[in-house]
Amino acid sequence: MSENAVVFKGTKEGLYILIKEDMDLDKIKYNLNDKIKPSKRFFEGAKIVNFKGKKLTKEEFEELKELVENDYGMLVLGEYTQDSDMLTDKEDAKEHMNYEKLPYDNVVQDKVLMLRATVRSGQLIEFIGNIVIIGDVNPGAQIKATGSIVIMGTMRGVAHAGSNGDYGAYVAALNLLPAQIRIGDIITRSPDGLGVRTSVPEMAVVKRGMIFVEPYLPNR
Amino acid sequence: MGEVIVITSGKGGVGKTTTTANIGTGLSLEGKSTVLVDADIGLRNLDVVMGLENRIVYDLVDVVDGVCRLRQALIKDKRYSNLYLLPAAQTKDKNAVSPQQMQQLTAELAKEFDYVIVDCPAGIEQGFKNAIAGANKAIVVTTPEVSAVRDADRIIGLLEANGLKNPQLIINRLRIDMVKRGDMMNIDDMIDILAIELIGVVPDDEHIVVSTNRGEPAVSNDESIAGRAYRNVVKRILGEDVPFMDLDTEQGFITKLAKMFGFAKKR
Repeated sequence: MSENAVVFKGTKEGLYILIKEDMDLDKIKYNLNDKIKPSKRFFEGAKIVNFKGKKLTKEEFEELKELVENDYGMLVLGEYTQDSDMLTDKEDAKEHMNYEKLPYDNVVQDKVLMLRATVRSGQLIEFIGNIVIIGDVNPGAQIKATGSIVIMGTMRGVAHAGSNGDYGAYVAALNLLPAQIRIGDIITRSPDGLGVRTSVPEMAVVKRGMIFVEPYLPNR
Repeated sequence: MGEVIVITSGKGGVGKTTTTANIGTGLSLEGKSTVLVDADIGLRNLDVVMGLENRIVYDLVDVVDGVCRLRQALIKDKRYSNLYLLPAAQTKDKNAVSPQQMQQLTAELAKEFDYVIVDCPAGIEQGFKNAIAGANKAIVVTTPEVSAVRDADRIIGLLEANGLKNPQLIINRLRIDMVKRGDMMNIDDMIDILAIELIGVVPDDEHIVVSTNRGEPAVSNDESIAGRAYRNVVKRILGEDVPFMDLDTEQGFITKLAKMFGFAKKR
C-alpha cells in the first residue's frame, strides 16, 4: 500500500488532487487518508480546485468529495465532469500542443530524459519516456526506457528501448557497438569476436519481429 | 550431488576469476558438467573472461529475487556444451543477496551439475560471506607476494572458522627465474606459512593476458604453460595424482640452447 495513488499539485489556480490511473477507489481513499492525516491541520480549510488524472465515475467523485470535505474540512470547488483530465492549467495545455500539424510521421511527444555524462559500468539509467545521452555508454552500463534511446556518443553497454513492449521504439547512437540491444521483449546480442565496425551513426529498429541495425543517414 | 567449490583469496588481483574460468573450463573438458557462479555482485568479471558478456539477460540477483527461474539465468558456454555460467548483477551490490539465499542457490545447482565453482569477490565482507555460504570445498589463490600471502592466511583462518576445513592452495603467477635469483618468495616458504595442501603452481604467462582479453580460457590452449598448469590442477581436483610440472624446463628454446652450450646467464 506504499504506492502513491494520490499527489497534491499546486497551480496558479489552486490545489489539485492528482489521482494515478489504474487505482481502485479503496486504494485512493487509503492513500488520501495516509497523506492528509499526519498534517490534518495544514489541510483544513484548503480549497481543492478539482480532482485530476484518473477518470472518476460520478459516484466515485461524490465519495471522494465527501471524504475530503467531511473528514478533513477541505472544500472541493469544482464540479464533476466526464473528462476529469481537464486541461485547465496552462502548463498542461502546453504539453498537449498539437504537433500533428507538422508534416512528419512518428512525432513523439513523450517526456525525454537528457543526460550529459559518461554512463559507466554498473550504472542503470531507467526512465518512463525517451532517453538522450550526450556522452558514451560503457560496457556493463544499462539504459532502459519505455520509449526510444539516443546516444550522442559510443554505445557499448546494454540498451533496452520500448521496455513496456513498444516495438516502435528504437536505439540510435553515433557509434553503435552495444553488448546487447533489447526492444520490447526482443533481445539481440552483438556477434562474437570483433565483428564489423562501422564509423557511421546507426540505429536499431524492429522489423518483422527482429532487431535490425542500419545507418539512419543512408546518403552519407 | 555435485561439489560446490569456492575460489577465494582475500586480496584482489591475484587471479581468482582467471582461476575460476580455467578450472571450470578444464572440468568441462574432462567431461564434467560444470556451472560457474559469479558472486562478485557489482563488479562482475567472470562473464567477460568467459566471453559471454553479451549473452546476459538475467543474473544471480534476478534468480534470488524470483524475477526469473534459475534455468533462464544460466548461460551456456559457446564452446563447451556441459559448461554454464550464472552471471552476477552489475547494477546491484553485495547486499542484494544473503548467505542463506546463496546456500539455497548453490544447493539447487549442485543437484544438476557435477561441479559448482563459485568466484568469490576480494575482501572479507558480505560478498565473501555470500560466496562461501554454500561451498563444501575451498581453493585459496595467492601470488608469491608477502601481501597476498598475508591475506591468504587471513582467509584460510576465516574459512576454517566457517566450517570449510582443509582448503587447498593455488600459487599463481610464479616467476621461476625471479625465485631463483631470490627476488621472489619460493613455494616452500609459502607452504611453510600457510600450511595447507598445494594443488597447483601456475607460472606467470603472457597467454593469460591474451586469453582473458579474448574471452577464451587458457586451459584449452596447448601452447600456454599456465593452461597446462591449470589442466593439472583440474586433474588433481578430480582425484588424480599428477606430479608438479618442473618449471625449470619450461623455458624458451634459445635459453635451453644457450644453457646447453654453457652460455646461460648465472641464475
